[in-house]
Amino acid sequence: MAVTSKAAPAAVATTAADDKPPNKYRQALPQYTAVAPFFILFAIFGAFPVLFSIWISFHSWDGIGQMKWVGLEQYHYLLTDATFWKTIGNTLIIWVLSTVPMLLLALVIANALHNATRLRTFYRIAYFVPNVTSVVAITLVFGSIFSNNFGLLNAFLQSIGLGKVEWLTSPWGIKIAIATIVTWRWVGYNAIIYLAGLQAISADVYEAAKVDGASPRQTFWRITVPMLRPVILFTAVTSTIGGLQIFTESRVLFGDTSSIGGPGDAGLTIVSYLYQSAFIKNQFGYGAAIGWALFVLIVLFSIINWRLIGGNDEERLTRRAARRVERRIAAQNAKKEAADVR
Amino acid sequence: MTLSRRKFLAAGTAAAAAGLTGCGSVGSLGGKNELSMWTWVGSVNDGLIGQAEKAIPGYDGMKLAMTRIGSNYKTKVLTALAGKSLVPDIVAINDDVATYFPNADQFHDLYELGAKDLEQDFLPWKWKWGVTPQGKMMAYPMDTGPTALFYRTDIFTKAGIDIDPAAVAGLAPDWDTFIALGKKLKQAVPGSSITDNITSIYGYRMAQLPKKYMTKEGQYIGDQDHVRQSFDLAVRVVKEGLSANAQNSTDKNAVVTNGKLVAYNGAVWWAQLGPKNAAPKTKGLWRVTAAPGGAGNKGGSFLAITKYCKNPQAAFALISWLESAKNQAQAFLDPVLFPSTPASYTDSRLSAPDPFFGGQKIVDVFADSAKKYPGAYFSPYDSIIDTPIGAELVNIEASGKNPDQAWADAQHQVQRELSRVGAI
Repeated sequence: MAVTSKAAPAAVATTAADDKPPNKYRQALPQYTAVAPFFILFAIFGAFPVLFSIWISFHSWDGIGQMKWVGLEQYHYLLTDATFWKTIGNTLIIWVLSTVPMLLLALVIANALHNATRLRTFYRIAYFVPNVTSVVAITLVFGSIFSNNFGLLNAFLQSIGLGKVEWLTSPWGIKIAIATIVTWRWVGYNAIIYLAGLQAISADVYEAAKVDGASPRQTFWRITVPMLRPVILFTAVTSTIGGLQIFTESRVLFGDTSSIGGPGDAGLTIVSYLYQSAFIKNQFGYGAAIGWALFVLIVLFSIINWRLIGGNDEERLTRRAARRVERRIAAQNAKKEAADVR
Repeated sequence: MTLSRRKFLAAGTAAAAAGLTGCGSVGSLGGKNELSMWTWVGSVNDGLIGQAEKAIPGYDGMKLAMTRIGSNYKTKVLTALAGKSLVPDIVAINDDVATYFPNADQFHDLYELGAKDLEQDFLPWKWKWGVTPQGKMMAYPMDTGPTALFYRTDIFTKAGIDIDPAAVAGLAPDWDTFIALGKKLKQAVPGSSITDNITSIYGYRMAQLPKKYMTKEGQYIGDQDHVRQSFDLAVRVVKEGLSANAQNSTDKNAVVTNGKLVAYNGAVWWAQLGPKNAAPKTKGLWRVTAAPGGAGNKGGSFLAITKYCKNPQAAFALISWLESAKNQAQAFLDPVLFPSTPASYTDSRLSAPDPFFGGQKIVDVFADSAKKYPGAYFSPYDSIIDTPIGAELVNIEASGKNPDQAWADAQHQVQRELSRVGAI
């Protein structure tokens, strides 16, 4: 690339007194140009689809023909759609069934990894491997494990005389199967994040605990867990967002047909319903409306998580202490009153 | 021209913008002397496509560029059509062809390209399915899916039933006698089933009827007796314990492999997808005969020429050549597509005895079914109606839902969905 004569002696030109004051925007242009590709790509592939989906959600559109303006009709239908509410229920149940055991298990695994003395790297990799495996492949494997008539799990249950469970046709079986896949896939990932958090905790604290004679259990609950709270918050929020978007597992388990949620739609999650509405039934307006409902839900749950696990520590502690005192006084008063009545 | 920095940036930005918006590529996909075609895997004969990829018959300058779309075929076609650029010249369409009718303006009228002259070569009901209610021919027939009764001779022998196809057809001419036959089989060989699941019975019963869910005038008839009777029949088969309750594909294959499924009302393509793939060891044990309740059809596909096509005449020459009686006979050999051209049925390639079916000439059974099929009107809303009904049937079989409640729930859901899309 040729360099123009004007730009080349720029360094020399600073000494020349006859130059006009530099144009602020021209000066900043190279920097803006340098960062522009991201913003241009983001505008096209990030911002535009988001805004467009709002636009679509006010229309009835089958993907090819003319869009028809229907105003808030899609949202109105959404709120009275029993299937939609069912998918929210399904998603929340699957989310709880997967996230709670997953985070507890991850914490235990992280603690074990932290204290492991031999083969540390091997274990870390071993726990992380499920996360990098293709979710479709995982689901196909789990599909044959959970399969009703000829699944490995049922074969095992029958061999020890427990009878078989209709994993892929009964409402709870489906949810447990999906939750298991999610847990298996993400437990290692969260464990590694916890491990990073654990290693950031100063050894002094543990030594002090040891000197004070704390048992391992006490150390875990009184030191490790509170010190990890920001990390736990992070994993809880990401798991919430991930959990509300569960899709692939149920889709691969139940195939590419119109019944992507399995029998009785018991495995139909919000995102599967979005996919089914938009891309199987070709109701793009309704699909977009579901997407925005999901957005609202995710915001809501992130706030709840933040409240439950995170927030300002000191304020929480003092408020909790205040509440405890209040409760104690109330209890005493109640007791006194009861005694007076007698 | 000296390349200044400004010019360089301007050119780069313009190129990037052009690349991102895809301008300069409006219209159809592929080179000037190429016709692009999209189908899903296993919908055309590879040998014929190979010939067309060298030269399109009658159009020496043109050749075919074929793409086999793996999954989500329909979504990809709709996306291409919605994008209005890089649209394939020819697309394959499944038996949900009527769902494209509201957008028939996206396709060429094949009558204008000379389809009228070829009409008498095809099964009349099949031809009609590609024509919109306004009389525009939107889709050209490919294969069909005539139905028949598949059954296992070894199990029938154990139950003391004559295994001759004509005798079996005589024993079970309608669904009542077929259920009685199923009970007899179950007594002789415990665990025997006559269907993989409840939706199969319902679907194949509906596929025999001369009407479906809507009238041509757009009236909803999915709540009438013919649908309710099919619904009740499916429930009855389950209540009699004659369904294998196999809801997913793993289980569906399993009941074929382990011999639980001893008789099955299926379409012609099931021979390949079912026993031949899932249970190759049962070779020679299967036979086919006329289905209880009459001739039926399930499945089958079409080809359509999009309005973006660069050379509609050549495209029509290609599809009419590909779907000629002679070439459809070849497509039956691989990948087992049943011709929509009756002239193919006497072709020696079809009428060869099939060793998997004990040397039976199975084409006769299916040809008979294809010719006798009454043909029902397919509306653009059939899949919208079919989904809730099927889902409720599964609820009955998988979780023991009360059939009357299931029927009421299905109808309620159908009404809601239809009023949303403005069909009623």
